[in-house]
Amino acid sequence: MASVLATRHPEDTVHGQVGDATVPLRFSSLAEEYQVLRERAAVLDLGGHRLIEITGPAAVDFAQRILARDVEYLTSDRCMMSLVLDDSGQVVDQVIAFGREDGLLLESSCGAGSRLLDHLLAHAVEGAEIADRSADLTVIGLEGPYAWGVVGRLIDGELASLPFESVVEATWDDVDIVFARTGYTGEYGYQMIVPREASAGLWAGALEHAQAAGQEALELAMLEVRQPIPRHEATPGATVIEIGANWLVDITKDDFVGRAAVLEAFEAGSGRRTVGFTGCEGVPAPGTRVLAGGQDVGEVVHAVHSAGLGATLGLARVDPELAAAGLDLTVGGLGVTTLTSPYIVPKSWSIPII
Amino acid sequence: MTIDELRARAAQRQQTCSQIKKMIVSRLDLEIEPGWITDDQPLFGRGLELDSLDVLELYVAIEAEFGVALYDSDMAVFGSVSRLADEVDPALRAPA
Repeated sequence: MASVLATRHPEDTVHGQVGDATVPLRFSSLAEEYQVLRERAAVLDLGGHRLIEITGPAAVDFAQRILARDVEYLTSDRCMMSLVLDDSGQVVDQVIAFGREDGLLLESSCGAGSRLLDHLLAHAVEGAEIADRSADLTVIGLEGPYAWGVVGRLIDGELASLPFESVVEATWDDVDIVFARTGYTGEYGYQMIVPREASAGLWAGALEHAQAAGQEALELAMLEVRQPIPRHEATPGATVIEIGANWLVDITKDDFVGRAAVLEAFEAGSGRRTVGFTGCEGVPAPGTRVLAGGQDVGEVVHAVHSAGLGATLGLARVDPELAAAGLDLTVGGLGVTTLTSPYIVPKSWSIPII
Repeated sequence: MTIDELRARAAQRQQTCSQIKKMIVSRLDLEIEPGWITDDQPLFGRGLELDSLDVLELYVAIEAEFGVALYDSDMAVFGSVSRLADEVDPALRAPA
């Protein structure tokens, strides 16, 4: 799946394959786009996020069984982030669920749409219609400490101060869009679900007030605030507890696919735990061994160079008795220190919307 | 440090984090087990989805339980349970 906006991006845009999607990885440079995202406002082509609609009389019951969070009373003015699990408790995807008048709309994570759709179809029930809407809808995001200003100039300033995870029907240039206050990076974040035929215009309009940022900058900023990135963190066999994504599961909910396995993993207290680290030279590959006092205690899950820290930033999965900030460990033979989340304090936390 | 020294240091933080989680669940009357909250998950907006009224409640609770006043702190101290632990027990921030 390629973004409908791909032909609108500059010729030197670097595209790459993320799961089933071809997405813009960077438009200029990672450092520049990261700075825009953390200091000003970035516009994001989220065309790699698939939109799947669930409608019909059994839609809510079906979604309630499929999603790990409670969506029974998810009204059309709300959205929420949730994990989708398989029967063994493994992460299928991390979605944003939008309440709709006639059911729900699920937005997959980047490149995970096919996997999510297959999972939904495999669990389909009578009375719940599942439809991939990606052929006629796409998603454009705004993220950054001044993203609220872009919303004001682009659509309506009142939308900028919507409560987190609020959703409204809005109009841009006589086009009906779904507008939501969301956010992946700890900064002010918004998403606009727009008809594909109008998306180029909205993208161009947003670019008059903000600068485009690609998937690399977005994922870096997500990591810095410990927002799970399923394609990196949901490694084969890892439980929700090991990933540390408990908050994307409503364990008090009576029943959902994967609940028994998650509860078993939680109660057993076994397995490893994920902790952030910085230090070392270069970027260690996933699987690089982590040592404590000379003993093998885990492995690197994902690491990057953090522009915000000016150093390597990574996640390691280690023995639970060592999953804590402030420890000096060794990764690939070089010293690292484990960190307290968030690893970067978003600028938006100290900037009011005016 | 030896692995036993590292484990002891980790245990000190985990104990403080555990104490904070119990305080949050109790004071805010949450329906989850304290251990369900992870040390690193976000607390406000995303994550535990606490709001500004919850913050006020936690200010009072932290002062009562840990003797630390956070009223003038920025919101970053509520970035995660582990970040709160740094505030209520500064010894945790000392170099290893």
